[in-house]
Amino acid sequence: MFGWFLRGAGSRVKTTRYPPEFDSNVGISPGRPIATQFASSQEADNAAVQCPTQAITAHDNMADINVSRCVHCMACSHGEAAMKWQNDYDWATLSGAGASTTTRPFKKSLHIRLVDSGSCDAVIQEIKQLAKPYYNMHKLGFFITPTPRHADVLMVAGPVTSHMRLALKKTYDAMPGPKWVLAVGNCAISGCVFAPSFMAAGTVSSVIPVDVQVPGCPPPPLAILHGLLVLTGRAQEAPPHVTTTIAEVPL
Amino acid sequence: MNIAEFFFLLVLLLSVAGAVISALAPAQWTGRILAICGTSAATALLIAAAIILAGHESIRVDLWRLPVRGMLRLRVDSVSAFFMLALGISFLPAYWFSDGYMRRYLAHYDPRSFNIFFHLLLAACALVLAAGDVISFLLAWRIMSGLATFPITLEHRQDENRRASYLFLAMNEAGIIISTVGLLWMVALAGGHTGFNALHGSLRHISPAARWAIFLIVFFGFSVKAGLIPLSSWLPQAHPVAPANMSAIMSGCLLNFGIYGIVRFDAIILPPISAGPGLVVLVVGALSALIGILYATIDNDMKKMLAHSSIENLGIIAANVGMGMVFTAYHLPVLAAIAYVVAMYHMINHSAYKTLLFIAAGAIDQQTGTRDMNQLGGLLKRMPMLAALFLVGALAIAALPPLNGFVSEWLTLQTILRSEEFTSHFSRVVFALCGAGLALTAALAVTCFVKAFAMSFLGPAHSEKASRALEPAKSARISMAILALACILLGIGPTWVIPTINRAMKPLAANLAANALVPPFFSHPHGNKDFSPGFMHDFAHIGAGIGRNIIPARGLVVLHQGGKSNPVVYAMSTFYMVGVLALIIFTTWLFVRWGTRRRTITISEPWAGGLRRLAPDMTYSATGFSNPVRVIFRSIFGPAIREDSSTAVAGHFRTAISKQRDDGYIVDRLFLRPLTATVNYAAKLLAKIHKPGMVNAYAAWVLAVLLVILVINRLL
Repeated sequence: MFGWFLRGAGSRVKTTRYPPEFDSNVGISPGRPIATQFASSQEADNAAVQCPTQAITAHDNMADINVSRCVHCMACSHGEAAMKWQNDYDWATLSGAGASTTTRPFKKSLHIRLVDSGSCDAVIQEIKQLAKPYYNMHKLGFFITPTPRHADVLMVAGPVTSHMRLALKKTYDAMPGPKWVLAVGNCAISGCVFAPSFMAAGTVSSVIPVDVQVPGCPPPPLAILHGLLVLTGRAQEAPPHVTTTIAEVPL
Repeated sequence: MNIAEFFFLLVLLLSVAGAVISALAPAQWTGRILAICGTSAATALLIAAAIILAGHESIRVDLWRLPVRGMLRLRVDSVSAFFMLALGISFLPAYWFSDGYMRRYLAHYDPRSFNIFFHLLLAACALVLAAGDVISFLLAWRIMSGLATFPITLEHRQDENRRASYLFLAMNEAGIIISTVGLLWMVALAGGHTGFNALHGSLRHISPAARWAIFLIVFFGFSVKAGLIPLSSWLPQAHPVAPANMSAIMSGCLLNFGIYGIVRFDAIILPPISAGPGLVVLVVGALSALIGILYATIDNDMKKMLAHSSIENLGIIAANVGMGMVFTAYHLPVLAAIAYVVAMYHMINHSAYKTLLFIAAGAIDQQTGTRDMNQLGGLLKRMPMLAALFLVGALAIAALPPLNGFVSEWLTLQTILRSEEFTSHFSRVVFALCGAGLALTAALAVTCFVKAFAMSFLGPAHSEKASRALEPAKSARISMAILALACILLGIGPTWVIPTINRAMKPLAANLAANALVPPFFSHPHGNKDFSPGFMHDFAHIGAGIGRNIIPARGLVVLHQGGKSNPVVYAMSTFYMVGVLALIIFTTWLFVRWGTRRRTITISEPWAGGLRRLAPDMTYSATGFSNPVRVIFRSIFGPAIREDSSTAVAGHFRTAISKQRDDGYIVDRLFLRPLTATVNYAAKLLAKIHKPGMVNAYAAWVLAVLLVILVINRLL
């Protein structure tokens, strides 16, 4: 009867040691390309052409990447015009002007309300991983709460479809201040391949002010965890050489 | 004629005058006449009762000698006077409330006949309590019971009302017949004495079997009136359909008459010598309490909920009476006195808060046109005054301190714990089980009235009418305010109330309960003969003496001492509690004000899961609130679930399925329906025996019956 208990006690600590230590490449996320310098402008153009979502743009012999459009298709990971590849998951960034990190009382205890504003569920699946023993976000003081009345942070996934636009706005309005918004996934940041269109606003920031963005399609759990740590001021945002642009690019 | 007799006569005259005036005056005046004549009659009754309770005078009138046997006497002793007090507490506000309330019936019904009976009812009730012998008691009871039937049928064009009043009439008639048999048997055994005092004296030496038989007959006869199970099925049907002022009277005082009958005949005139009768009363009381509150919790009709809750409260009273009888049989006079006093305390509490709640339910019904809690909601903003008064009543009935329900329920549960003094294990087990049942009842009562208040007054309005409701008429608010005041006073002043009730219950309690429950912390600072000086000193040390020389009472603490094997003292003081509560609330308020002084307040709309619009139907409903109780006690409710898919298209595609759940009444299911089925079966058998239309056969049967009677008569 207590076999499960003994087995659990016998196995060592499985939880990731990520926040202080480096952890890489768990799960299925292939990572993402970073801006790469090629020998010639022709090679850089080749690199840009092979991207199906037009995330890569060529400037002379530099292939720049807009990570908020990258869908990790790995088309650019091999071949003659292969891009360099990032091996860690510190992907989150503050979203420019007006973005703020949390104040001191929220540093070690943050309650999160999650809104799926029309995502394909991939991001939601990754967020779910956070609550599981491996990532164990609770040990870092992050908690999911069912009601926005108790929430400090609104975590949004999806391209904000017309159906969810009002719900998203109402959820944000229902949260007591001070409050912050975390946009998770490329859809929420730029709309990526979905938006702007007749059915989706495209970006969360067009509805409510966003503080931290976690690019990725989907961003792996460690990247989302990094996003939360960036929001609470416990981690540095992604270095600028990796992320050259995170912008809304109309299709 | 002394002053008490004068006021009693005034009650009768004013009631009759009210009836006559109502018959002559136009229908529009109905409410006003009730408010003036009725209220003054009830006031006169209260004065008469107060004079008698003060011990100065009593009513002793011999009316006239009957040709057959006995004298019709009016004798009001302190017990009757106390019941009269409960009568007045219930009647006075109900009459006053009628002023604004009767207007709602003017458009469809002529309330004059209602008025006549409603006026005469007070006189009949007073006569029942004043009766000093069995014959006049039965006569008055008969009149009272008959008169009570008619006001129920004011809205006589509705089938439901007619059916309910027939049920009321039938069951009460059956009760009267049963108790008449019992009382006349008593008279026969007593050698023809009909006076209550003479009966008490001459019934001392009857056989145990006769005692048991008389007890059972009398108890079940009167338990119909008290609405105890298994004879309670008329109550939840008749109370909701009556006009609210009549419902208030029915719950607030007519039910007390059942208790009066049981106390008068089973406890005073024929005091129990074995524990059996008391245990029967206790078990019936505890079961009534539990079943009453279970049905009250799940019912969404406000008046029906209150009716079920009346069964619960009458059950608690009966349980206390039963405990008193058991304690008497075991020769524990102090505990018996306490139990009887607590029963009377709970009775007068129930009269106060149930009348208040029924008046509130009637006022809500009048203002919104519905009694269904699922259709109400949000009334707190529309009628704040009524909501506050209802809240007082709800808190009192839910037995929350410092209101009156708390005192009597606390004492009830404390008294039940004293069963450890018995030597009989059986009695102990019965007491323990009943105690558990009563404790569960107390807990469910809180659920029930949280639901009643929350679903009616808080949240959004669930119907158009509820959203436009206005405060009821001033007469309703005043009558409820009187009762709310009574609830508060009875709650914070148990140290005045208990000695008063003890004085009233002198035939049963001597002066024992008051001495045991209310120690004289004020008058004897260093102890008296019931309590050791050290004990008194300890209590004085922790503040039991606060208020000495200022407050005219023996003390402000109610004590309940454990017995020999359990030497613990339970003490309670609602008066001090009010002070402490006020202090706690005030300091908390100060702290909150100080802590939030820099906060800005943002008002946003209610969170509805991000939906476009929050419809009232989406919010918590009364049905949903009570559903856990419905699920847990499913076996008691025995629900019949009806599924209807009549909207099916072409017999294959069901477009909508409606499910309806009817909770059957357990008393009907287990007792009344099998009984009627048996009687019907017997009647059918008898019908088979005689051939229809054959006169010769009828004559033969009559002859046969005559023969049998003659033979029996000869043999006896």
